[in-house]
Amino acid sequence: MIIDKAVITAAGPAQRTLPLQHLIDRDGQERTVLAILIEEAAKAGMKEVAVVVYPGDEAACAAAAEGTPVKLHFIPQTGGAGYARAVWSAREFTGKEPFLHLVGDHLYVGDEAGACASRLVETATREKCAVSAVQATHEGLLPNYGAVGGQPLAAHTDLYAIERVVEKPTPTLAERSLVVAGLRTGHYLCFFGMHALTPAVMAILDEMLGENSGAAPSFSSALETLAARERYLALQMDARRYDLGASYGLFTAQAALALNGRDRDEVLTRLVQLLSANPARKAGL
Amino acid sequence: MERLIGIITSSEEAVRNTPLDAAIEGMSAVELLAACARLDGFRRETGNLYQRVRALFFLSSIHRYALPACGTIPSFGRIPFHAYEQLLERRFEESISILLDAVRTDGPSEAVSSALAAAYRGLAFQTLADQVRRSVRSIAGNQWMFRCGHAADYPLRLRPELMAQQGGRFPILRETTPVRMDLSHSAWSDIFFLGMDYPEGARVLNISIDLAISGRGEPRPPVEAHLRVIDRPVLRLVSVDLNAQVELSAVSEVFDFARDYLGLLKAAVIASGIVPPGMEGAATPLAAVLERLTGRAGHGIEIVSKVNDIPKGSRLAVSTNLLACLISACMRATSQVASLTGSMDEADRRLVAARAILGEWLGGSGGGWQDSGGVWPGMKLIRGVRAEAGDPEHGVSRGCLLPRHDLLGEDRAPEAAGRLLQDSLVLVHGGMAQDVGPILEMVTEKYLLRSAKEWEARGEAVGILDEVLDRLAKADVRGLGRLTQRNFDSPIQTIIPWAGNHYTQLLIDRAKAEFGERFWGFWMLGGMAGGGMGFLFDPQVKAAAQKRMQEILSETKRALEGGVPFAMEPVVYDFRINPRGSWSEMSGAGDGLMPPAYYVLTAPALLRRESRNLTPAQRADLEQFGARSRGGGEWGVAGSSLIDHLLPEAAAARSVSGTLDEMLEAHGFDRLQHEQIRADMKSGRIGLAQNRLPATARITNVDPGELPEVTGVHGRFVDLGRDALRRGSVAAVSLAGGAGSRWTRGAGVVKALNPFCKMGGRHRSFVEIHLAKSRRASRAYPLAIPHVFTTSYMTQGPFEGTLARENRYGYEGPLRLSPGRSVGLRFVPMARDLRFAWEETQQQVLDVQKQKVLESLRSGLIQWALASGEGTDYRDNLPQQCLHPTGHWFELPNMLRNGVLARLLAERPSLRTLMLHNIDTLGADVDAGLLGFHMDSGAAMTVEVIPRLLDDRGGGLARVDGRIRLVEGMALPDEELEFDLSFYNTGTMWIDIDRMLGVFGLTRAGLGGMAAVDAAVRKVAARMPSYVTIKDVKKRWGRGQEDIFPVAQFEKLWGDMTALPELDCRYVSVPRLRGQQLKDVAQLDGWVRDGSAGYVESLCEWR
Repeated sequence: MIIDKAVITAAGPAQRTLPLQHLIDRDGQERTVLAILIEEAAKAGMKEVAVVVYPGDEAACAAAAEGTPVKLHFIPQTGGAGYARAVWSAREFTGKEPFLHLVGDHLYVGDEAGACASRLVETATREKCAVSAVQATHEGLLPNYGAVGGQPLAAHTDLYAIERVVEKPTPTLAERSLVVAGLRTGHYLCFFGMHALTPAVMAILDEMLGENSGAAPSFSSALETLAARERYLALQMDARRYDLGASYGLFTAQAALALNGRDRDEVLTRLVQLLSANPARKAGL
Repeated sequence: MERLIGIITSSEEAVRNTPLDAAIEGMSAVELLAACARLDGFRRETGNLYQRVRALFFLSSIHRYALPACGTIPSFGRIPFHAYEQLLERRFEESISILLDAVRTDGPSEAVSSALAAAYRGLAFQTLADQVRRSVRSIAGNQWMFRCGHAADYPLRLRPELMAQQGGRFPILRETTPVRMDLSHSAWSDIFFLGMDYPEGARVLNISIDLAISGRGEPRPPVEAHLRVIDRPVLRLVSVDLNAQVELSAVSEVFDFARDYLGLLKAAVIASGIVPPGMEGAATPLAAVLERLTGRAGHGIEIVSKVNDIPKGSRLAVSTNLLACLISACMRATSQVASLTGSMDEADRRLVAARAILGEWLGGSGGGWQDSGGVWPGMKLIRGVRAEAGDPEHGVSRGCLLPRHDLLGEDRAPEAAGRLLQDSLVLVHGGMAQDVGPILEMVTEKYLLRSAKEWEARGEAVGILDEVLDRLAKADVRGLGRLTQRNFDSPIQTIIPWAGNHYTQLLIDRAKAEFGERFWGFWMLGGMAGGGMGFLFDPQVKAAAQKRMQEILSETKRALEGGVPFAMEPVVYDFRINPRGSWSEMSGAGDGLMPPAYYVLTAPALLRRESRNLTPAQRADLEQFGARSRGGGEWGVAGSSLIDHLLPEAAAARSVSGTLDEMLEAHGFDRLQHEQIRADMKSGRIGLAQNRLPATARITNVDPGELPEVTGVHGRFVDLGRDALRRGSVAAVSLAGGAGSRWTRGAGVVKALNPFCKMGGRHRSFVEIHLAKSRRASRAYPLAIPHVFTTSYMTQGPFEGTLARENRYGYEGPLRLSPGRSVGLRFVPMARDLRFAWEETQQQVLDVQKQKVLESLRSGLIQWALASGEGTDYRDNLPQQCLHPTGHWFELPNMLRNGVLARLLAERPSLRTLMLHNIDTLGADVDAGLLGFHMDSGAAMTVEVIPRLLDDRGGGLARVDGRIRLVEGMALPDEELEFDLSFYNTGTMWIDIDRMLGVFGLTRAGLGGMAAVDAAVRKVAARMPSYVTIKDVKKRWGRGQEDIFPVAQFEKLWGDMTALPELDCRYVSVPRLRGQQLKDVAQLDGWVRDGSAGYVESLCEWR
C-alpha cells in the first residue's frame, strides 16, 4: 500500500479562517497554518494534497499555501455541510487509492516537523490497513473529540485494533463501550485529527451520503462502519495536537511550536518576563 | 470444623440452608459461647461477603435469643458505656471488641449479650449496605461521576436540539413514566441483598401501569418530568404536586437534600451526572457547570416534576419511578441515553435503573430492585442474575446488583390476560402510609438465618410465582386471584406477620362477605398491606365492586382510625397496563408549555415583578400561558386558579385556632401554668439541659442482691394474693392517656387501640390484650377484677367509640375510663433545646448518606424554630396535634379528681390495691404471687423492675443521696451513669390505695370533696419536677404527605413519686417476659421470637 495523496479539510463555516492564520513555525519563519499542515503531509511523502474549502475560499487558501512543495488541489465543499461530507468531497481526488487525511483546524507538534504524519503513514503502509492517530485523552475533554474503543495489538505498545468509533461520546457511554486496557482511569483514545485511510472509507461515505441516504451521518459513524468491514487500527501518538478553534487554541499552538523550535530560549525568557510582571494573581485559574 | 461455620461455607445447598435454630438446638451456654468465639474469628478472616454477613447474623441471633434462653448466664452485667457510644457512632467493630473484652473480664451476661447482638446486627446490615453502594459505584457508566470534581473536567453537554431558541424560549423535553405493580415478589426477593445472594430465588412479576383516581378521567402515566434550558445561570427545580420550587446557584445546595421538598429532584440531578456526585463539597460555582453544560454563559436549566394525583404510600413505587423518570429526562438531554424522544433501548433502560438505585442511595431512601420497573413497558419477569467473571460482583456475591428484565410476549402474557386483569382488578390505596423499612430488615435477617418455617414459606412463594406465570399464560385471572390470596395468607404472613393488618383483613372479609364467589382474591402490593392493594373480582361485577370497595374502605377506615394511623382518605383507582414504558416527547421552542399547574405555582412571583425585569424567556412563557388559558379547558381552569392565588382570600369561616382554643377550654387548660412554663423555658430556667438532677447528687447503683426476685410460684405470697383476689381487693389500672408517639411516629392515633398483632386467631389491640389478662386472672374467683383505662383529651373519644363498637370486648368485670383533667399546649421548641437533643446527647448515627440527609433536615428544623418564634405556641397543625397530655403523673390523681376511684370504692368497698401499669407492658397481669408479696410487705407502693438490657434506656433504679428511687433518664446528670444501673423500671406498680391517699392527705371518705381533692393534687404536683421534652409531631398535607416537626412540651412522671420520703416504696425484680415494654413496631419480630408474644398469649383468655 502506497500513500501519496492527502486530504485536508478546511471548509467548516466556523473554522474556515483558521488555516489562514499566520504563526511562527519551529524554524522561526512566519507561515500560515495551512502551509504548516501541507509541509507535514509533504514530509510524510505526499505528492498531492487536496484542500477542501468553503466555496469561494479557494483563492485565499491558495495564497496561504503558496510555496509548499506539493501539487495542490482546492475542492469546494458543495451539497451540504458536515465533516463527513467535506471528506467525501475529495472522493474524485482520492479515487481508489489510500490517502492521508488531516483536519485543517489542528496543529501537530512532535519531536520534529512532519514526524506525526510520517509515523502514521509508515504504520499504515506496514500494516496494510487504515490507521487513525489517537491520543489518550481525559474524559473531561470527550465532548470535543471522536473516540475509539478496541484491543491492544499483540506485540505492539502503541497499536490497537479498533472495534468501536463514537463521535463525542458521553463519559457514560465511554465507560461502557470505549474502555481500553492499559490506559489511566478516566482516559480514552480520542482522535488526533490525522488518519491514513483506505478507499473503503469513500465507498462507505458514498453509501451514507449518496442519494436517498437520509440524515447526515458523522465521519465517526463512517469510521465505525469501516472498523466493521476491514482491519482498522489506532496508533497512539506521543506528540501533541492543538485544536486551534478552542479558546486560546491559536495562542497555545503558537507557544507549543515556539517552545519546540529554534527560538525556545527566547520565548521562554519572554514568558518568564510576563510571569514576573504579572504576579500570580490568577495563578489558581 | 465448627458446625456453624460448616453450614455457612458448605457447597451443598441442603447443608447451607440448615436453620440456625436447628443447628444450635440443645447446646449449652458454654457450647454456644465457644461457637460464638469461633464464628467471630471466622467472620474476621473470610473474604466472602455473604459468609461474613451470615456469620454476623448467626452471632447476633445467638446473643439475642439463644443465650438468654439457656437460662444459665446471669441477667445482670455492666455494658461498657464506651461500647454503647461506639455503637451509636456506627463503629461496630470497635464496639464488639470492647464488649468481648467485657465478657472476658466480667464473664457473660444477658446485658452484654444484648449489646453484642445489636452490634453484630448493625455490622451485618452495614456490610450489606456498603456492598450495594460499592456495586452501584462500580457499574460501568456510573464510575466517572465519582471522579468529576471540577467544572473544568465536566464532560456533559446538552443536546443541540434543546438549545434551539425561539422568541427567547427553549424547547421542553417531557418524559412520562408508568408506575409498577408486582403480581408477586416471591417474598420480598427484590431486596438487593437477597438478589445478590440468592439470584435463583429472586424473581418478580412486574407490570407497568397508568393510573387515575376513579372518576377523574382516563388513566395516564402517573409521573412526568419536564426539562428545558432557561436564560439564567441557575438550576431551577419545581415540584408541581408538592407546590415547591427553588433556584440553586451553588453546588453545595444541590447536595442539601432535606432543605426543602425537592430532595428527589436533587438526587436525580446528581445521579444523572448533571451535577455529578464527585462534585460534592466542590467550591465550583454552579454557573460554571451550567455554562459547560449548555455551552452558553448566563444559561441554566429548569427541571419540573409532576405526580398525577397518586398519593404517597401507594406501594406502586411512585417515588422510584419519578426518580427514574427525572433521570431519564436528564440523561436523554445530555446524550447519555441514545434516544432524545420515544422509548429507550434495553441497555439505556438498565443504565437508568442503575442510576435510580444510585439516586435512592444519595437521597437516603431505598427501594427494591424491581421498583424502577415502570421504565420498561408492559409485563415483565424481573429476575436475579448470577455474577459471572467480568461482573464487578464476581467473587464477592453470588448475584449481580442489577437484575434482568424479560418482557413477556404473547406466549407468556397473552393480550387477553392483560385485558382480563384490567377488567377484574380493583386497585386501591387503603390510606395507610407505613414505613416498610423495618419489614425489609426482618426479611433479610430471617433469610440469612434460614429460619425453618420462613425458609419453607420462601420456597412456597417461589413456587407460587411459577403458578402465577402459568395462570397468566392461560389468561386465567380467577386462578391468579386464588394464588395472590394464597400468597398473602400463607408465605407472606408466615415470613412477616406484620405485612398484614387488621384493617386489610377486615376489607378482605367484607369483600368476601359481599361478593362471595365473585370475589376472586386479594393481592398485596409492595412490602406490606394497608396502602396500595388489589382486589380481584369477576369482571361482571367489577364496576359494582369498584364503587362498593370505595365505600367499604371509607367505612372501615372511619371505624378504625382512632387506633390505626391513616395518612389519607382511601381511594380507588382506574388503571391500564402501559405498553410503552418511559416515553419522551419534545415540544417546539416557540409553542411548548410546562403543565398548567406549573404556572399556577410559578406565575404569581413573576407577575409581581415589573415586566421589564423579566427575562425574555419568562416574558414569552407568560404570554404563551396567557394565550392558552384564554382558550378554556384545563388551561382555563389553571388561569382561574392563578387569579385565586393572586387575589386576597376571604377569611375562612372557622379558623383552626378557634377550634384549638375551644379544645383548650374544654380540657382544663391551665393558661397561667402555661405562661409560667413559657417564661421559664425562654429564660433558660427550664429546658432539656435543666431536666437533670444537680451534678452534686450522689447516684449509685442498687445491687441485684439488694432486691428480692419473684419468679415462679411464690408459696405463701401466692396464697395471700389469691385470698385478696377472692375478696375482690385489687383493680388493674392501665395508663393510656399518652399517644404512644414512638409507635406511630407522632401520627396522633391511640396506640392502645392499635390492633397490632394476631393472637387467638385475630388481630388484637393493647386494650383487648389487657382485658383478656384480667379476664383470665379473674377466672378462678367470684368477683371479676375491675379494670380502669386512664385516658386524655386525645384518647377518651376513640376509647369510648371502640369499647362501644366492640361491646367492651365482652369484659365481664367493671370496666371504667378515667378521663384526663389536664392538657398542655405544645411550644415551638427553643433552638438550644433542639441542639441539646441532637448534638449534645448521644444519638444514633445513621448510614453515611442518611446521616447527611438527617443533618440537613435538622438544620432546617432549627431554622424553622427560629423563624416561627422559639417558645411560642405551636398552633400550625390540627388542634389535636397542638395539644399534649401532661405526663402520666397526672393519670392516677385524675382518678381522684374525676370521681372514678370514688365510684370504684363505692361499688367495691373491699378494694385495697391498684395494679398500675403502662399500656405497652403487655406481660403485666394481676399475678397473685406479686400481689401477695406487695401486701405482705405493707408498702404503700411496690415497683416492678427488670435487669437492664441495652435497649432499656430512660433511667432506672438508683440510690440517690442514699435513698433508693426511680430516676428518669433525662434526670441523670451524666448519660454514662445510666449504664451503671442494674435495674430498669417496668412502669408496673402495686399501690396500696389508703396509703397513697394518705400521701395526698386524703382518705376514702374525703374523695367526695372535689375542692379538697383538687387542692391535695395540686400540692403534691408542685413537689414533682416538670420535664421539658421534645416530641415528634406529624403534620399531614397534600396527598398523603407528612412532615415531622419537633415540638416542646412538659410532663410530670409518676416514677418521681418514689422520691417522696413519706411514700414507703419497695422494689421487686421480675422476669423480662413480664416487664418487657413494647414501644416501637420494629420490636415486634423480636418480641415474637424471644417468646414474649407466646408468654403474653398464655396470660390471656379471649371472650
